[in-house]
Amino acid sequence: MIDFSRIQKELQDCGRDNDSSGIRVSPKADDLTRLTGTIPGPIGTPYEGGTFQIDITMPEGYPFEPPKMQFSTKVWHPNISSQSGAICLDILKDQWSPALTLKTALVSIQALLSAPEPKDPQDAVVAEQYMKNYQVFVSTARYWTESFAKKSSLEEKVKKLVEMGFGEAQVRSAIESSGGDENLALEKLCSG
Amino acid sequence: MSSDRILCKFFVHGSCLKGDNCGFSHDSKDPPNNVCTFYQKGMCFYGSRCRYDHVRASSDLPTPPLTSDSESLDRSLSTAPSMSFQRQGYDGDGNNHGDKSSSVYCVHPREYPLCSFAAAGDCPRGNQCPHMHGDLCATCGKKCLHPFRPEEREEHTKECEKKQKHIEALKQSQDIECSVCLDRILSKATPGERKFGLLTECDHPFCIQCIRNWRSSAPVSGMDVNSTLRACPICRKLSYFVVPSVVWYSTPEEKKEIIDIYKAKLRSIDCKHFNFGNGSCPFGASCFYKHAYPDGHLEEVVLRHLGSQEGDSIRLSELLGGLQIF
Repeated sequence: MIDFSRIQKELQDCGRDNDSSGIRVSPKADDLTRLTGTIPGPIGTPYEGGTFQIDITMPEGYPFEPPKMQFSTKVWHPNISSQSGAICLDILKDQWSPALTLKTALVSIQALLSAPEPKDPQDAVVAEQYMKNYQVFVSTARYWTESFAKKSSLEEKVKKLVEMGFGEAQVRSAIESSGGDENLALEKLCSG
Repeated sequence: MSSDRILCKFFVHGSCLKGDNCGFSHDSKDPPNNVCTFYQKGMCFYGSRCRYDHVRASSDLPTPPLTSDSESLDRSLSTAPSMSFQRQGYDGDGNNHGDKSSSVYCVHPREYPLCSFAAAGDCPRGNQCPHMHGDLCATCGKKCLHPFRPEEREEHTKECEKKQKHIEALKQSQDIECSVCLDRILSKATPGERKFGLLTECDHPFCIQCIRNWRSSAPVSGMDVNSTLRACPICRKLSYFVVPSVVWYSTPEEKKEIIDIYKAKLRSIDCKHFNFGNGSCPFGASCFYKHAYPDGHLEEVVLRHLGSQEGDSIRLSELLGGLQIF
């Protein structure tokens, strides 16, 4: 049986001080078993400036079983699968403790971004690149951050689409109707 | 006059609950004892309206010492400075007691009962109250300390301080949260949940249910029972058992006391694994429960010999205790 009152408390707690850490947790649906966590890329790493989304699924036995977490934002990191977003972190597996919370787990993931463990890899390709060609790793990770983890502001999106030759009013309504998704807006503009 | 030849006054009314065990006679031919004991003790409220005889105590009654001199009562009262006992109520009223009032049977003041109002807090009649008022107990604030019963005073003071300590401890425990369910432990829904689970090796608070759930939960693949489940969820220090307690402690001595009381309680309960010698207990000599045979004698602790050169015998628990397991 999931302890929903504890999850609710954790959400309140996260909401209280998200300004300092930038870590947020919000429910995906009403039932609190599926949540989304957001962590900012740590400063001084190739992930700086990115905002990473993590899918959280609460197991039946929470908090006596660890929450299932995986990145929904694509990340280039030795301990995170570049394909599935699966995370290799001991506290999410055999080192879980019921005193840990969603927030502390997310903080640990943030710490994992700053301190990769290439010797215990989740993604062998990334780990090999990290060990053999660190510079390439850094630039790939930074490129992935730029491409997948950065949300450009509305004005930037408008500017980009206007440059493509669409009218500004048209662009704004297209972006609004597609929920801020740049590519969807472009499709709409093209189709009609 | 021995009491078994005196007619039982309850029997007369058909309401003696003691039956054959009654110390008084249940034979209606025996003479009834119509003496008012309250009057003899010097405080019958009914006065002349009393249905029992207001006679002086007969000399064959043993202690307390008899005196017909009311002054001696005065003296004994005046030697007790803390006594706020008003005497007018029972022997000052000469009309009620008639010519008998001058000869009051005096008992030692320790025999006087306390005014029940005063014992429960304070008496609204104050100094006008015919009953004896106790001294103020500084701890509970009730006038319940009997001025002439030192053992009772001491017992009450001890009891009261213990209660007060318990209340203080409860107050301090009020805000403590369980790190697992994140609830305040003493604010949980049912009384059964409002209990702390103390770990022997560290001082992190949990509610008994959460820590027991964690320790008995099925390990996730790769989880080690000793290093993870039996460890404190916060500091991961290994504790072999959990002690339930209704209060949290503030000093190591208090913690030790809680653990000792718990262990002593378990030691008085028969181990169901041992089953009076018919079964076998997996915990052996380290079991907290009682291992006793049907005739009452306790199981002998069999020491296992460690194959060491000295041939010393050593208990497994001591051996394990000596190892640093983290």
